[in-house]
Amino acid sequence: MTTAAPTPKPQKAERRSLGQSQFSVAWGQFRKNRLAQTGGVLLILVYLLAMFAPFIAPDGLSNYSTSNITRFHPPTPVQFRDTQTGAFTRPFVFKYGQELNMDTFVNEYKPTAEQCPIYFGVRGAPYKILGFIPGNLHLFGTGQENPDCNVFLFGGEALGRDLFTRTLYASQISLTIGVGAVLASTVIGLFMGALAAFFGGFVDTVIMRLVEVISAIPYLFLLLLLRSVFPQNINPILALYVILGILAFIGWGGLARVTRGQLLSVREQDFVSAARALGASDNRVMWRHMLPTMTTYIIVTLSLSIPGFILLESGLSFLGIGAVEPYVSWGSLLAQAQEGGLSSLNQRPWVLIPGFFIVFTVGCFQLLGDGLRDAFDPRKRQ
Amino acid sequence: MFPFLIRRFFQAIPTLLLASVLIFFVISLAPGDFLTPARLNPGISEQQLANLSANFGLDKPAYVQYFYWMRNMIFNGDFGLSFQYTQPVLPVIWPRIVNSVYLVLLNLVFFYAIAIPIGVYGAVRQNSFGDKAINVVLYFLLGFPSFFLFLIVIYFILQIRNATGWDIPLGGMTSGNYEQLSSLGKFWDVLSHLLIPAAVLAITDAAGLTRVIRGLMLEVMRSDYIRTARAKGVSERTAIWKHTFRNAILPIVAGIGGLLPAAISGAGFVEVVYAYPGITPMLLTAITASDLYLIAGFTVISTILLIVGNALSDILLAVVDPRIKVG
Repeated sequence: MTTAAPTPKPQKAERRSLGQSQFSVAWGQFRKNRLAQTGGVLLILVYLLAMFAPFIAPDGLSNYSTSNITRFHPPTPVQFRDTQTGAFTRPFVFKYGQELNMDTFVNEYKPTAEQCPIYFGVRGAPYKILGFIPGNLHLFGTGQENPDCNVFLFGGEALGRDLFTRTLYASQISLTIGVGAVLASTVIGLFMGALAAFFGGFVDTVIMRLVEVISAIPYLFLLLLLRSVFPQNINPILALYVILGILAFIGWGGLARVTRGQLLSVREQDFVSAARALGASDNRVMWRHMLPTMTTYIIVTLSLSIPGFILLESGLSFLGIGAVEPYVSWGSLLAQAQEGGLSSLNQRPWVLIPGFFIVFTVGCFQLLGDGLRDAFDPRKRQ
Repeated sequence: MFPFLIRRFFQAIPTLLLASVLIFFVISLAPGDFLTPARLNPGISEQQLANLSANFGLDKPAYVQYFYWMRNMIFNGDFGLSFQYTQPVLPVIWPRIVNSVYLVLLNLVFFYAIAIPIGVYGAVRQNSFGDKAINVVLYFLLGFPSFFLFLIVIYFILQIRNATGWDIPLGGMTSGNYEQLSSLGKFWDVLSHLLIPAAVLAITDAAGLTRVIRGLMLEVMRSDYIRTARAKGVSERTAIWKHTFRNAILPIVAGIGGLLPAAISGAGFVEVVYAYPGITPMLLTAITASDLYLIAGFTVISTILLIVGNALSDILLAVVDPRIKVG
């Protein structure tokens, strides 16, 4: 019997099917999960929306008119049809007039007959995309020739600023702080868990006790306690970092515990002993052999804990200790729903719109996280 | 049972001590000491300031201050002085804590009353239309911050109130005429105020637990002893509730204690929206006023309550699971 030399082509295909890395298997699994992919794509869209928020928003973040006060202006529906002929025209909004209702003494907004055409690519408030690309072009707007016209897609808020603009700007904060806090707490958790496992003894006891204590205090009160250490009137940008740091501080415990347990069990395994016997340094053993066993776990917990942190951040901002003026997050936008007592909520339900952005983003992150978990879980492979 | 409680008590001491160290450490990080606002108050004399300073050992290093604080707390039940209220902390915060505990307890009742039937239904009728529909709704609910769902509920309640004139309580804990009511009337008044926030809170939280119960039930339902029970001719009802459910909920009963911090914190957001006289609204004003001892007092007491809750959940686990012996 002679063995024919295999042709190069099938061999190549064979090698590919044999040597599949864990990540390519997971990617293949992920590709089959339509729901998780949808979540991922929608998230990319949301992040793009946040990145180009200044361009898409018709107004600047804190712009409002002091002469034409539009406090809690209702949303202005965009009209596409001419009022007389019914033919399609350039989209326009009606200009709104204000009038005091003498029965209820509430200032009411009523559309007038005057039409404000909406132009695309208008010049307006200057901005910097990502902090360095300057511009003053906006996707749409009513232009500068009729300043009393407003396109309020989501209505106006307490100072008469455009809620749509502010919601878009808020997405920058809301989407960053949650993810940033998760990343920071992951780094802290890994580091602390590795420290505890590596040194053992006293260090181990201290770290594990600290984790226990942090989880014994209700997280909201711990957050409030930590926030109260910093003055109330600190620089708004600093306040954002403070909140990020506090969120990271209360979130690392669980991961540190898991890391410690995992590393302790891995430490006794053959490949680690082999690495040590080959003369690898502690550093190399830790980084090249022990920590990589955590990769899957970290990817999955990371994606599953982001929604929780986004919810927590929105809660803190809602309570007024997260993002403060001039910065906004979805949570702090919702806080104005309470302004003037809850019973006035049904006169301006549009202030609830930013909340749906939270729900949408959290939902997408959950779909993505569940998809990743299933993709990395060998028991759930299809 | 009694030796078990004693043991739990002694086990809790290190955690409590460390928690108090952490809390005190965080407080002493804040700029100025806790008499700084008092010095600005012309109503407090120099002599009083000196007395307070000596009482809390403010002229001594931080670790000595910690022992003063602990001493006052353990032996005198004195959590320090609140500056907003110029009163000892404990009498100020105690009614608030009791109010919050009412809310959390009612919330837990709703929480289990919602999550258990739905979770069991999902497992028994797995992949039925109802199961899938509930799953989708719950998945959607997981994304709702509790305060946002509550705002939406309030919006609809307002619509109902405007449409029907039905006076649904909306905010606070008691009605205006609370003092004139009979004791039964008082009870009902508070309960009717608590129902909506507790239910809303339970719905947002139940989404997670329902999925867990469903998964656990499915796991137990596939086990051999359930098949044996069915083979013996046990009724469907007994097979599910007595054989499957009692085994499936064990991990959940063990986790009740761990659930409390989230329950108390979650209740906080709803308290703020509902203007309910609970812990969190008072904490928020305390933060603006940097009333540190008030904040520390709340944190210490809620930590103690949590540890008590954990012990209770252990006892409960022993009641549900005869394999575990307490004591």
